[in-house]
Amino acid sequence: MSDHDSHRIAEIHEDLHSHLPPEPALRVKALESLLVEKGMLDPATVDAWIELFTEEIGPKRGAAVVARAWTDPDYKARLLADGTAAITELGFEGWAGGHLKVVENTPDTHNLIVCTLCSCYPHSVLGIPPNWYKTAAYRARAVRDPRGVMAEFGEAVPEDVAITVWDSTAELRYMVLPQRPAGTEGWDEAALAALVTRNAMIGTARDLTPGPGGPD
Amino acid sequence: MDGIHDLGGKQGFGPIDVGEDDNPFHADWEARMLGIVRAMSRPVPWSIDWFRHVRELIGPVDYLTRPYYDQWLQTYAAMMVNSGVATVDELASGTSVADIPGLGPPSPPSAVAGAIRNTARFDRPATEPPRFAAGDPVRASLNANPGHTRLPQYVRGRRGMVTAMHGAHVLPDASAAGVEKAETLYSVAFAATELWPEATAGGDRVILDLWERYLEPA
Repeated sequence: MSDHDSHRIAEIHEDLHSHLPPEPALRVKALESLLVEKGMLDPATVDAWIELFTEEIGPKRGAAVVARAWTDPDYKARLLADGTAAITELGFEGWAGGHLKVVENTPDTHNLIVCTLCSCYPHSVLGIPPNWYKTAAYRARAVRDPRGVMAEFGEAVPEDVAITVWDSTAELRYMVLPQRPAGTEGWDEAALAALVTRNAMIGTARDLTPGPGGPD
Repeated sequence: MDGIHDLGGKQGFGPIDVGEDDNPFHADWEARMLGIVRAMSRPVPWSIDWFRHVRELIGPVDYLTRPYYDQWLQTYAAMMVNSGVATVDELASGTSVADIPGLGPPSPPSAVAGAIRNTARFDRPATEPPRFAAGDPVRASLNANPGHTRLPQYVRGRRGMVTAMHGAHVLPDASAAGVEKAETLYSVAFAATELWPEATAGGDRVILDLWERYLEPA
């Protein structure tokens, strides 16, 4: 059982800080060895999870959701009404997807996602968050200086575009539905999905206008 | 708790590393740690709220300087020691000195394909009618639970407006103390000009998801 005693946990943190190996890689190696010895872990299952999050569960899932919404107005309506049900239609339900809310950018509004208290993220559609999303700098600044943060990412958001920052303080998880860029009329879903970046679905990118030359 | 983790609006942090590549992991040990957490047996239940509270109790210097997955390691290690699953010496050496009685076999690789679709839900049947409705002006409480809470400091005492009511969700403040109870959850919008003295853009706002006990009529 856990005792749920904050003071005891602080003491344990100190104890661990003093006694665990000095490098993160060595700490993780010791933890894995211990869990295997205790019969709590099969290393081949660790490999399988790593492969999934390297190969399959990542932003290309979110991009497929966005491309579907851009080409199918009924799907877009379902996505905005109930994100969890709409991603389940595509087989993308899973980790942190139980209460997904998709927020739509428009010509005069922009959405930006953050978790100031930890690092909440819609893993089943966007995979593993980038390091910057988990840094103190992003968590501190996104709610207070969203325009400055966006400028660092190369997006100057005009003053007449209102920014809504979504701070993921509960179990709702957020994903941005970017605007479909001009010049993509007639593109198929696969070509459209290739335009959609991870940052656009977090909100640190806004303009997805393709370069010259049409779809890949 | 008024911990170092409550970072929203804190000033003095530098630029963001916008040039980071798209790789999900930047070191082998990061990938191992993610995989370990997804694959490991849980001899005792640890709620998401207890995990978050144990993480935010990492000493402030370590919290701000140690890499993200290293903090996961520190948090799981602390939960394991606290629950009697492992000792500090075992975690330091990587060698087990005591078995865990009654433990079943660990999750096999064949379980992963099904497990990726497991979707936890945190909504629960409501036991009380909601106190607020969309459109209501509210003020976030000045005081928050001294243990775990999801009411950030930067909105405490500030006026906002309810934009959505989500029904009853598991209350983190109680869950992190080992008690599951549900309470109405709302989305609440705060104008940037209400939160930050330097804000000028009239339409900019921050929306947070806040439980009923965090709010007062305004």
